[in-house]
Amino acid sequence: MYQEKIIPHSTHPYHFEKRAEASEIFKAYNPLCGDKFELYVTLENDLIKSIYFHGFGCAISKASTSILAKKAEGMTWDDFMILSKDFLNVIANKNDAKFEDETLNILNEIKHYNGRMDCVKLSWEALCRD
Amino acid sequence: MKEYFPIFSHQPDLIYFDNASTTQKPHSVINATTLFQEQQNANVHRGIYHLSAKATDAYEMTRAKTASFLNAPSEKNIAFTSGTTESINTVAFGFLEQNLKAEDNLVVTTMEHHANLIPWQILAKKTGAALRVVALKEDGSLNLEDYQNKLDSHTKLVAMTHISNTLGTINPIKECIDLAHKNGTPILIDGAQSAALHSIDVQELNCDFFVFSAHKAFGPFGVGILYVSDQYRDKMTPYKFGGGIVRSVTFEDTTFMEFPYTAEAGTPNVSGVVSWGIVLDFLNDLDRIAAKKHVQYLGSYCREQMDLIDGMELLPCSQNSSGIVSFNLKNIHPHDVATFLAEYKIAVRAGHHCTQPLLESLGVLASVRASFSIYNTREEIDFLMVKLKEIRGIFA
Repeated sequence: MYQEKIIPHSTHPYHFEKRAEASEIFKAYNPLCGDKFELYVTLENDLIKSIYFHGFGCAISKASTSILAKKAEGMTWDDFMILSKDFLNVIANKNDAKFEDETLNILNEIKHYNGRMDCVKLSWEALCRD
Repeated sequence: MKEYFPIFSHQPDLIYFDNASTTQKPHSVINATTLFQEQQNANVHRGIYHLSAKATDAYEMTRAKTASFLNAPSEKNIAFTSGTTESINTVAFGFLEQNLKAEDNLVVTTMEHHANLIPWQILAKKTGAALRVVALKEDGSLNLEDYQNKLDSHTKLVAMTHISNTLGTINPIKECIDLAHKNGTPILIDGAQSAALHSIDVQELNCDFFVFSAHKAFGPFGVGILYVSDQYRDKMTPYKFGGGIVRSVTFEDTTFMEFPYTAEAGTPNVSGVVSWGIVLDFLNDLDRIAAKKHVQYLGSYCREQMDLIDGMELLPCSQNSSGIVSFNLKNIHPHDVATFLAEYKIAVRAGHHCTQPLLESLGVLASVRASFSIYNTREEIDFLMVKLKEIRGIFA
């Protein structure tokens, strides 16, 4: 599962490049493992025009950030915050709750791999932090 | 060897390469814990009835056996703690704190585990003393010249690991102990990775403090050993307070017993210590010289085989090294390597191994670590190589 579903997202991540211009740059960093991304968020009024990201991270954190970047595009910031908080809640639970969105489900499945949830949450939490 | 360890019957596919973190327990030790709790359970040092007297005997006998294991002068030099970390804290806050002033300094090395770094760092901050860190050479060995330069008349302690839990480097501790003593400085040796198999003789080494954990030597969790030499025994004061360490108590004042009892406030891990006594029987029956050779051989075989893999980045390790190997595969995050290996029941560790400053000094954020013990085999290492080559292919 890990190989088939995660690796495509991490070897060809969506919007994986540095951006000179962005409305805001968020830093996602886990000092315990060294995963470190900059998230370049471009907003038009309240709408997320695009999210690009760049940095160093494991396959899971890269895949998760790639999925985040794709999902957020075109959403309002408020809607995206609601989605993120809901996402973080669901993946924190040990129960079998699933998402309708298949790509979010891939990330949800990671809870079955020991000790990798921090990798999934890294960028999502960075954006939710004020 | 595996037949002595029940976990391998329950998990026959397990390839356990995380021995630097904790070791597996032999039958005899597991049985001893059960036996104690079923048939001998009582508190120590306090009861007059038969069961308590027997428990006390078993506990104190283990103290004596531990003294023999280390060739300490007597059981009075041995205290039981909850682990290496508590043993180090006991020396920091039950000895050094009383003797450290702002103009003094402490010496540690770049390769120390956080347990043998943070207590000294906190103590230095508390007292205003300086913390000096000995550098490493490019091959992962200690820079002895730097070590000597850092010792001066105000150096009040050297704290040094015997074997690096991340690099596998074995330090020349006899030489370092002699240099510390020439400088009039006591020295603590962290033997967490060495005590099990390296036939430690604290009198021959002449170290002042020696610490290690039972659980890294095939024993139970929650038991640590603190050896203090005769010279420093009466300088130890309690840093944790409660019952078991006192002579007389009034509301105004309390007089204390002496080391080792002053380091054992509260109810000890009685069943843990009694089981540790059985581990000592196991270790004494083992041909420890052959076992040590076996583990070191596995370490060098692993390094040799890894060198043949494309994209392999081994962390530096001195020529004199143990069965601990830290590495990275280029462009593949250590967590991904460890998760992949875990799918094949290969247990390795990924992260900073409680040595963040060491890794930072090497320009590395995290690594994978394989660490071997007496029940590991060359065939298991061959299988690891197969899987490492496979993961290269997947992530390429």
